[in-house]
Formats: sequence, C-alpha cells, structure tokens
Amino acid sequence: MANSNLPRRIIKETQRLLSEPAPGISASPSEDNMRYFNVMILGPTQSPYEGGVFKLELFLPEEYPMAAPKVRFLTKIYHPNIDKLGRICLDILKDKWSPALQIRTVLLSIQALLSAPNPDDPLSENIAKHWKSNEAEAVETAKEWTRLYASGA
Amino acid sequence: MDSEDDMHDANDVDSYEEDYYSGDAMYSDDDDDAGYEFLHNDSDDSDDVLISRQQKNFTILKEDDIRQRQEDDITRICSVLSVSRDSACMLLRRYNWNVSNVHEAWFANEDKVRKAVGLLDKTTYKPTKARELPCGICFESYLLDKISTAACGHPFCNTCWTAYISTSINDGPGCLTLRCPIPSCGAAVGVDMVNMLTSDEDKTKYQRYLLRSYIEDNRKTKWCPAPGCDCAIEFDLGSGSYDVTCHCSYSFCWNCTEEAHRPVDCETVSKWIMKNSAESENMNWILANSKPCPKCKRPIEKNQGCMHMTCNPPCKYEFCWLCLGQWSDHGERTGGFYACNRYESAKQEGAYDESERRREMAKNSLERYTHYYERWATNQSSRQKALADLHQMQTVHLAKLSEKQCQPETQLKFIIEAWLQIVECRRVLKWTYAYGYYLPEQELAKRQFFEYLQGEAEAGLERLHQCAEKELNTYLNEDGSQDEFNNFRTKLAGLTSVTRNYFENLVRALENGLADVDAHGASSKTSSSKNAAGTSKAKGTKGKGSIRGRTDDSTGWSCDQCTYMNSKNATSCQMCHNSR
Ligand SMILES: [Zn+2]
Ligand SMILES: [Zn+2]
Ligand SMILES: [Zn+2]
Ligand SMILES: [Zn+2]
Ligand SMILES: [Zn+2]
Ligand SMILES: [Zn+2]
Ligand SMILES: [Zn+2]
Repeated sequence: MANSNLPRRIIKETQRLLSEPAPGISASPSEDNMRYFNVMILGPTQSPYEGGVFKLELFLPEEYPMAAPKVRFLTKIYHPNIDKLGRICLDILKDKWSPALQIRTVLLSIQALLSAPNPDDPLSENIAKHWKSNEAEAVETAKEWTRLYASGA
Repeated sequence: MDSEDDMHDANDVDSYEEDYYSGDAMYSDDDDDAGYEFLHNDSDDSDDVLISRQQKNFTILKEDDIRQRQEDDITRICSVLSVSRDSACMLLRRYNWNVSNVHEAWFANEDKVRKAVGLLDKTTYKPTKARELPCGICFESYLLDKISTAACGHPFCNTCWTAYISTSINDGPGCLTLRCPIPSCGAAVGVDMVNMLTSDEDKTKYQRYLLRSYIEDNRKTKWCPAPGCDCAIEFDLGSGSYDVTCHCSYSFCWNCTEEAHRPVDCETVSKWIMKNSAESENMNWILANSKPCPKCKRPIEKNQGCMHMTCNPPCKYEFCWLCLGQWSDHGERTGGFYACNRYESAKQEGAYDESERRREMAKNSLERYTHYYERWATNQSSRQKALADLHQMQTVHLAKLSEKQCQPETQLKFIIEAWLQIVECRRVLKWTYAYGYYLPEQELAKRQFFEYLQGEAEAGLERLHQCAEKELNTYLNEDGSQDEFNNFRTKLAGLTSVTRNYFENLVRALENGLADVDAHGASSKTSSSKNAAGTSKAKGTKGKGSIRGRTDDSTGWSCDQCTYMNSKNATSCQMCHNSR
C-alpha cells in the first residue's frame, strides 16, 4: 500500500491537523492517498470572502518536506493572487518554501492572503487591474462571487 | 582637389614601415619589427595567439589563477576582519567579491552587515543540556551527535541537513546564500556546513558555484564564451577597445561577449544578430556549400577559403563565389574597381502602380539584406576554413616545408603570419558587411567611400588568401627551386603587409564613423570609373575626380608579378624587385 512507508513527519502533521485544527481551517487526508488532503477554509471576517466556504486540494509531493506542498483552490474565487484554475501566487509555495514550514503554516498563510489581497504581485492580471483601478467595485465582485460560488452546502 | 592627398588612400603604402620588409628584420627571431608577438600556450604551441602589441588592457585568468585570487581575497578578509574563512566567503559574495567594499561596509556598521549576510555572533547561541533534541524537519528525536546547527542553534538532524543543503545546491547558485530552514531566523549556512554534511558531488557543485560567482558577480571579470574554455578575462574598465583574445585563441568583445567585432559597435552587432535570426529561414540556402557554375551549370563545391572559383575541367570557368561574375572582372588588371561588395538594387524603371511598387520594395529589402548577409556569412565560413588551415600549417605543413626547402621553421614564420592576417581580415571584413547594411542609403558620399575602402580591402585579402592557399600548395607538393621559393616568400610577406595596411585603413575609417567624408567631401574621390560609367544610379555623384586606380600612372603602378602598388617614380617593384 502506498501509505505504508509514509514519513513520520507527515503522520505527525496529519494527527495534529485533525486533533487541534487551526480556526477556520479544516484539512483531512484522503482515504486512499494519505498525501492528498481535502481542505476547507472559511472566508475571514471583514474580508470580501466572509461567509464563504472555500474548498482546496493539497498534495504532498514525494520530496516533501524538501519541496513545497501543491495547493489549489477548487472553489471559484475573485482574488488578484488566485487565477481561474485556482492556482495561488504565494511566495512560501515557491522560492520561499522551507522544510521547517508545515501544512498548517501554508494554510494559515492562504487564509491571511484572503484577508489581504496583494494586487501588486498578481497572478490574475485582469482582477489585479480591477482591484487597483476601482477597489470598491472589485470588492463588490468578490463578495458577489463568494455568494454565488462559496455559499457552502 | 588638393585634399586628395589627405585622404587615407588604401593604396598609399609607399611609406609603410619600410624596414618591415626591406631588410632582414622580418626573418630574424626578433619579432619586434613585426608589431606582433606569438604567445605560446604551454599545453600546445599550435594555439599560437596573435596579440596586438597595443597596450594590453585585459588579463587572462585560468582556473588555477581564479582559485588563487579568490583564495587570496578570502584570506585578506579573514585577517583584516578577524572572521572565519566561511564568514569571509559569505561577506565577499555579498559585496560582489570587492575586498574594499567589504572593508568599508564592515567598519561603517558591523551589525548591519552581519544581519544582512546572516552572520550571527556565536555567543548568542546557548548550548542545550538535553541529551536528545527533536529535528525541526522530520520531527524525530536524535542524540546530539546526530544533530547539527548553524550559528543560530536551531537543531536539525544530519540527514535532514544533507537533504536541505543538497536540494538547494541542485536548485542553482542560490545555494550560496542559503539560510537556516527556520524562515524567521536568517542565520547563514556556509561552506563549512556544506563540506561537513554533503556528498562529494554536491561539494564539487558548490565549489563550482563559488568559483562562478567570483567571476560572474565581479564587475571586472567575465568568462571566455568559447565552448569548452574555462578561462576568464579581467578587463580594465574604461580603457578603450573591448576586443580581447583568450588563451584558447578566441577573440571576443568584452562588453557584449559576442565574438570580436571591431570596427562595428556592440549595438549594430546585436541588431544584426537579431535580424539574422529573424530571417534565418529565408537565408538557409546561402549556407549551402555548392552553387551551379554560371557557365556550365554543373554544381561546384566551395572547398577553399578564397572567393576565386575555378570550375572543374573541361569547363575551367573562373568566377567569383559571391556574385557569380567572371573572376577577371574582379582582378586588378582590369583597372576596374573591386565592386562585388557593392549592393545595387534592381533598377526600378517604368510606371509602377502602388501595389507593384510595394512588392518590389519588399523584394528589394530582402534582396538587399541577402546581399549583405551572404557576404557576412561567407566571410565567416571562410574564416573558419582559414583557422583550420592555420592549424594544419602549424601542426603539419610547416615541418614538411622546412624539410623540403631546407630552411629552419623560424624562417617560415612569414607563412604563419600570413594566415593569422587572413583570419583577422576575414573577421573584420565580415563585420563590415553588417556595417554596410546599416549605413543609411541616403548618405551617398559615405556609402561610396565605405564601399571603396571595403572593396580595396577585400581585393587585397583575396589576393593574399589565394596566394597563401593555392600558391603555397605547389611548394608543399613538389620541390620548387630555392629561388622560386624566395620569390614566393617576398610576395606573400608583401601581400601580408599590404593587406594589413588596407585593413588598418578600413578599420580606422569605420571606427571614426567615416568622418573623413564630411571633412573632405570625399565623394568626388570615391566615384570610380565604374561608377561614372553608370552602373550606379547615384543621383548627386560628382563623378569627376579620379580614384588612384591600380593602372593610374599619375599616382603609381601595380606590379605585374606581385600586384604591389608602387609609387610612380619607382622603376622596379619595391616588393619583389620585378622591373616595371
Ligand atoms: Zn531530521
Ligand atoms: Zn536558525
Ligand atoms: Zn577562451
Ligand atoms: Zn560588443
Ligand atoms: Zn563550369
Ligand atoms: Zn564577385
Ligand atoms: Zn612586385
């Protein structure tokens, strides 16, 4: 079975994610692949994503923790650092990754990104432009999308 | 009219370094008179390099030299700052290996520098009393001897360290600024930990990056771009010409690292290279090595460096590879002007409607480019061929010839010099075609002057190349008499120096932007008889002044035997003593 030689670190991280989950975040491994996690992040309060439930997938590659986990939004979201395929522009998922970081730190960083979009380092050029030219309107669109696509259920 | 004498006429070589070819100087072992010296590469003396004796403004560094310099710089920082070698290395890298910048920054604000580089004071780290510590990466607990830390003291097991450092090394040169895995920590991980914790293979890679950094991050050094060459060149910034020549004999421009391109500037070179890659599909056919003979239409292969082609018997038609014109039209005996270098756009006569004119223009612009590109590319391959021939000459033929002619090899240096000159001239000539392509068409006077100089240089080079290539062959294959060989020596040496002179004129004129044209209104002197005869559509050409053609008795005469241009009052050839 693929999960039999799972590194101790992954087992420990998984146990802790399940026993003491971070507020507003849940992550549980898939039954047939312990390296694949189903993730849910609640839209942070006072953000355009408030009230939304965002589904993500997270995968730990063979090289983990020397290589970063792969994370992607499954729920459609209007955000300058997330593109329409759900890919996330976040430094710790790329060149700033360190093996001392964990799944938990990654998910907390993504949650923080929802509270503080950064249109100066965009992944989605159009949304970033919208954000910079008319933030109020862009926030409205983000709220709209949250209602449309992330209303739970 | 009197300004005629001011012009740098390529034929005007009467006073050119008399003693260079008139005395025994050129056959002596003393190279001083030649203005060139041979450098012997200690590994293989076939790698003789022609180094111009103008003040050398660069230094060639071999791998050992580089290591030694790096070592010296590290040692200097160690002793002045009283830091470890490991720290000195990181400090130098941070300040682009500039020793005085490290000193300055360190003594201005040591704390700031320490922070920027990640050098913590060891004293901040309090050793633990525990027997075991958990590794921050794999989460297992280990006895202390299986745990390592950077200066910060964050514990990771040796296995995780090895994987961490190795991942970074295999990611690229970023490994030189590696920090503790704890993102907020920032303690540097330097060469000591690399040496302690990684495989030999990774250590070698790390050392390689360190060496590369020493050259690549330093403003004054660059790698030699020749494939397989490990040398670097240190250049004295602000010291004029960027052309440098490496131990491997490759010449390149230190500024843009393209191959040496005097007399053309870097900007033109990069424009030209971009143009070539944009047009590469259209130009493939030019690189083909055979063309149909213009007379009998059978394909004939170009297997020599000079442009003078002779079709196979029975045809034996002699023609020019570049323009496919009859070779005799290119010769000096026609009194003609070597005009194969000049681009003449197709005549546009009669009424054109707009679309036809557009099509014609598009065709012309490609045609025009093709003209220059073909000449550029052909000189390039001709140069490659000459390099190979030079090598062959140095490694095989010279010894053979020395035996056949019973002369020591030192007496045959003139042959090597001829080949070195050919190689260099092919390079210059090649770039003059990029120059010509970008010379604005409306600057008529400049164009004509340029084409005149280029044509002269090219004709001279063809004579030299042909002499070194074909005539020399006869002495290699059969035993010519001593006398004949001595005549050959005189001719080849003469052509070498004449050609060098032509090219010096050309380079000088192009490097100062053909300024002489503005100064003297040289257009009148550059309009050749051929020009006046109407092949050029030049509108404003004055066309009256006479150029110092080779048959123009008023200014000089061309030797029948060696083609040297003698002054008008000489009764026998200065070069070969053949009487007029
Ligand atoms: Zn470990
Ligand atoms: Zn640390
Ligand atoms: Zn080299
Ligand atoms: Zn250059
Ligand atoms: Zn033929
Ligand atoms: Zn020709
Ligand atoms: Zn002569």
